[in-house]
Amino acid sequence: QEAAKYEKKVMVLDFVMPTPLGNSWGLGGTCVNVGCIPKKLMHQAALLGQALQDSRKYGWQFTEEVKHNWMTMTESVQNYIGSLNWGYRVSLREKNVTYENAYGEFVGPHTVKATNKRGVEKLYTAERFLIATGERPRYLGIPGDKEYCISSDDLFSLPYCPGKTLVVGASYVALECAGFLAGLGLDVTVMVRSILLRGFDQDIANKIGEYMEEHGIKFIREFVPIKVEQIEEGTPGRLKVTAKSTTGNQITEGEYNTVLVAIGRDACTRKIGLDKVGVKINEKTGKIPVNDEEQTNVPYIYAVGDILQDKLELTPVAIQAARLLVQRLYGGATSKCDYVNVPTTVFTPLEYGACGYSEEAAVQKFGEENIEVYHSHFWPLEWTVPSRDNNKCYAKIICNIQDNERVIGFHVLGPNAGEITQGFAAAMRCGLTKEQLDSTIGIHPVCAEVCT
Amino acid sequence: MGWEEKQVRGYPEFVQTAQRYHGRPIFALFCGDKDAAGKSWCPDCVTAEPVVRKELHNMPDESVFIYCLVGDRSYWKDPNNEFRKNLKLTGVPTLLKYGTPQKLVEEECFKAELVRMLFTED
Repeated sequence: QEAAKYEKKVMVLDFVMPTPLGNSWGLGGTCVNVGCIPKKLMHQAALLGQALQDSRKYGWQFTEEVKHNWMTMTESVQNYIGSLNWGYRVSLREKNVTYENAYGEFVGPHTVKATNKRGVEKLYTAERFLIATGERPRYLGIPGDKEYCISSDDLFSLPYCPGKTLVVGASYVALECAGFLAGLGLDVTVMVRSILLRGFDQDIANKIGEYMEEHGIKFIREFVPIKVEQIEEGTPGRLKVTAKSTTGNQITEGEYNTVLVAIGRDACTRKIGLDKVGVKINEKTGKIPVNDEEQTNVPYIYAVGDILQDKLELTPVAIQAARLLVQRLYGGATSKCDYVNVPTTVFTPLEYGACGYSEEAAVQKFGEENIEVYHSHFWPLEWTVPSRDNNKCYAKIICNIQDNERVIGFHVLGPNAGEITQGFAAAMRCGLTKEQLDSTIGIHPVCAEVCT
Repeated sequence: MGWEEKQVRGYPEFVQTAQRYHGRPIFALFCGDKDAAGKSWCPDCVTAEPVVRKELHNMPDESVFIYCLVGDRSYWKDPNNEFRKNLKLTGVPTLLKYGTPQKLVEEECFKAELVRMLFTED
């Protein structure tokens, strides 16, 4: 849409290869259809369940036990997603961007072949290309995985309640899904191979895991599934999962209605003909290395988003990189995408907002003696009346002593973590120091004031 | 079989008609009432109607096109009228595919390409 503003002739080729279970979706990419949007809505559904429990202490009286209906929630969520898909179609049309629901692949220099779902092929040539094909969930590679397991691609439109669920993985996708499924009242177990939330601050990752465990989510640590068998067909059916310990020969078995695999995502770069045009990819990971202007090794081919090597996999980063790229190409701008100090939030039952360095990364980069960590637990006022945990919410600021105690890491674990973090991210971009933070007067009574 | 048109006025008649054709693709165009001379109080509806009518042949077979007059201007302006409350309409003209989030509102209905896209999208 940005390029169309500069009167360029633009075409978008978007195609979703169906999941092993036959699932597909509309225009908008992962975030809109099977990522951030449905995730946050279902997380909200779970939070509302908790709020209903809390409400009794605040005086709300209702005698019936409150139950959750999966189909009602899913229908509402899918309806909203449908309106977004439609909105994008209208938007592209209005801006004169040609859209084809077809699978694009390079067949030669400056040429792509587009194949639609009926197998009809068309060839297109263009001056420049932007690849933003994203990723898809990785499967375990064990017997029964593709036949019986689901992934996040299937979960948000599942036409039946998943029931007793085993979540395999310890990524934020795994923990967020396990979190809201449990919040909706389901029996949830998480099977973890080694650590939680690799790449995130481990001190906080462990607190998140502890909180989830204390709130009814079971964890099976240091095990990996080796086979999934179907005991009974159904919606949901019954599955038997056999798992082996990573530290010995122990075998464990369990029965579940649903197995959700969330062990990582693989870039969609292997089958789009990159070899035909000479675009280099990292053979091991499938990611595309680009320079700081999002250009691949082939000058007229650019790439943005989750497929980039060594860059953050976040929707707003992809959008910003793409917009700035187009402005540089056609608008005479010079700004490059700044990948430093990008804020993010993990929507686990206890939300985690972060910006900048984790404690481990800060120690590694600057040396333990050169950083100062300020931290504190806090008890949200709203949690006092219903007697919720008083020592779980936590905030941590990491400062670089050698640079005026510049704030280089911001971490908050608690309700509305995303809303809290956004403002501090802007402050960090302005070079926030501990002194400036201290001299900022807090808003009372809110959680964020613990940081000031 | 092609498609057929049903003309209705007011919310209850609209709902009744839509329910009767449950199972077939239903498209609806909502416009302000017309006076004795056949002119609507809603100028955008006057502009949109011929554009929409010209694209009707693009609707899939078996479709039902419901042309619905919502009421007079004061009824429409009332924020609690049934169309606003139940169908979540925000403006007239609105062209929508019943039972889906797909719709075009006001000036969007002037664009033949968008209307065609609504009728042919699956």
